[in-house]
Amino acid sequence: MRGFLTNPVIIKELRERFRTGKTAWILGSYLFVMGAILFGVIYVETANKVYFRPGESREIFILLTVIQLGMIGFIAPALTAGTISGERERQTLNVLLTTHLTPFSIVSSKMLTSLLFISLVVLSSLPLYSFVFLYGGISPVQLIKIFWFFSVNIIFFGSLGVFCSARFRRTGVSTIISYGLTFLVGVGTALITFFLWQFFEMMEWKAVDSDLFPFLFSINPGFVLAEIIGEKVVPPSLTYFMEPWILFSILYLGLSVFLLGWATRVLNPLRKKRLG
Amino acid sequence: MIETQGLTKRYGKLEALKDLNLKIEQGKVFGFIGPNGAGKSTTMMILSTLLRPSSGKAYVGGFDVEKNPREVRQLIGYMPDFFGVYDNLKAIEYLDFYCGAYQIPERKRTALIADLLELVNLSGKADSYVDSLSRGMKQRLGLARCLVHDPKVLILDEPASGLDPRARIEMREILKELRAMGKTIIISSHILPELAELCNDIGVIEKGKLIAYGSVGDMTVGVKGISIMQLKVLDQAEAAEKILTDSPFVKRVDNKNRYFRFQFTGSDVDKAALLANLLSQGIPVVSFSEAKENLEDVFLAITEGVGS
Ligand SMILES: Nc1ncnc2c1ncn2[C@@H]1O[C@H](COP(=O)(O)OP(=O)(O)OP(=O)(O)O)[C@@H](O)[C@H]1O
Ligand SMILES: [Mg+2]
Repeated sequence: MRGFLTNPVIIKELRERFRTGKTAWILGSYLFVMGAILFGVIYVETANKVYFRPGESREIFILLTVIQLGMIGFIAPALTAGTISGERERQTLNVLLTTHLTPFSIVSSKMLTSLLFISLVVLSSLPLYSFVFLYGGISPVQLIKIFWFFSVNIIFFGSLGVFCSARFRRTGVSTIISYGLTFLVGVGTALITFFLWQFFEMMEWKAVDSDLFPFLFSINPGFVLAEIIGEKVVPPSLTYFMEPWILFSILYLGLSVFLLGWATRVLNPLRKKRLG
Repeated sequence: MIETQGLTKRYGKLEALKDLNLKIEQGKVFGFIGPNGAGKSTTMMILSTLLRPSSGKAYVGGFDVEKNPREVRQLIGYMPDFFGVYDNLKAIEYLDFYCGAYQIPERKRTALIADLLELVNLSGKADSYVDSLSRGMKQRLGLARCLVHDPKVLILDEPASGLDPRARIEMREILKELRAMGKTIIISSHILPELAELCNDIGVIEKGKLIAYGSVGDMTVGVKGISIMQLKVLDQAEAAEKILTDSPFVKRVDNKNRYFRFQFTGSDVDKAALLANLLSQGIPVVSFSEAKENLEDVFLAITEGVGS
């Protein structure tokens, strides 16, 4: 692997992205939405009270992380779903493939620059957290776990977008499908878990004894986040065979590798046969 | 330098390329002619390692395009029929990006890029954004892009398409310069007279089949037993045209106000009979002779009778 700053695709992507207003625009609207929600909530919460209590700072922290998770799911596809289909639509992909850039180097550099941008956007919102920290309410270990958890999410949703943009020719189609899949992972898994739980209750099966539910709760980003923060969303009698955030990381990082590998394969013009 | 053996490409049921056999020597310029949908771009994409042939083999510089794509890519500069440029990149940055893609050391790039821009007459546009360049300039920049790694073989798919006559001439002059540099060039085009001046060999492809192949000098309509005739009359042009079109040996009558050009498929005896017929009907014939054929005639004659 060649150096990060000598990789031509990365340099090109950075130039292209920084010169358009799009990046500034995404960054600006992200911060605006985050800030508006945060201050809106604080305003409503404190409107009738004289002072601000630490217990509420914890609530605001939870609110911030949930919003941030939602924003990752919203921004990752937007930033990645067009990376490869965009080259195809601009008719620059074929020329790229006749150079010494391998499909793998194209996919991985696109992925890296996208990660860089998503992280930039997410990190830019850190100052919003600062005053919440002043009042405590969250432990450093939890903070590191949350940071790790966000990274896994960024990598996974980023890979999903990159995969879709390699697999589908049109950026429009790719964007819709990445959002669809993101929604499925974010909300769909929760719904499935909920309905299955109801179904088990109805049939009077012992849901808490089955290995299925710990697994189902561990694949939904929302449940895992709640578990990290220590909010009791999951029935307390349920026992995990592995800490949810570990299972979540293994599963989604594995899937990311798989999706990127698949994208690389799709991009190779000389591959043996079509997949999918 | 370039060789194909029984190259075939199928898109589902459609055979875009059927059993193509080509051999292009080093330093030669090969012109690839054919109507739309003949399979020119398909052939060029296979040679550029962008498409896997259904069967058959293709070699560039002795390397199999399927088995040694990396070596082939080092040897070729490929310019597609349609290509885009990146927004928000300047001409130098655009070329610098491809220098990087070919792993050319950074210290060599500045001089190389200046040379390339000079070669394609774009030195003045070095700092312009590529999407602000005109079509002809983009096309020339695309050509410079092909040359970044000093390839021995150039695969140019209709490099002159969409260019005005002046830009075409400029493009041709650049290509002549490249020929003088000893590059092996395979170039496709619809504009035949251009190829005649530039190419050593010409191949005519039609519906995926190579139907004529040889040096420019060998390319005559005689190949198909056709001659090009011209007829000039003083008057009665309409009557003359009717006689011509009625003759079973006459094809593609081109009437330019009392001056006719047409393909004649019969023997000399038939020619004499046609002239006698014209005279007996009282047509004032000024001249009736064989015309010097041009490549347009060759092309039309060779691709005669095949649709699309
Ligand atoms: N991806 C594809 N899928 C299906 N058919 C294709 C595909 N690409 C090309 N074809 C078909 O293959 C045939 C040859 O196409 P090709 O592009 O090689 O022609 P061409 O000689 O370059 O024509 P033109 O002069 O218009 O550029 C055409 O009939 C075309 O419809
Ligand atoms: Mg073509």
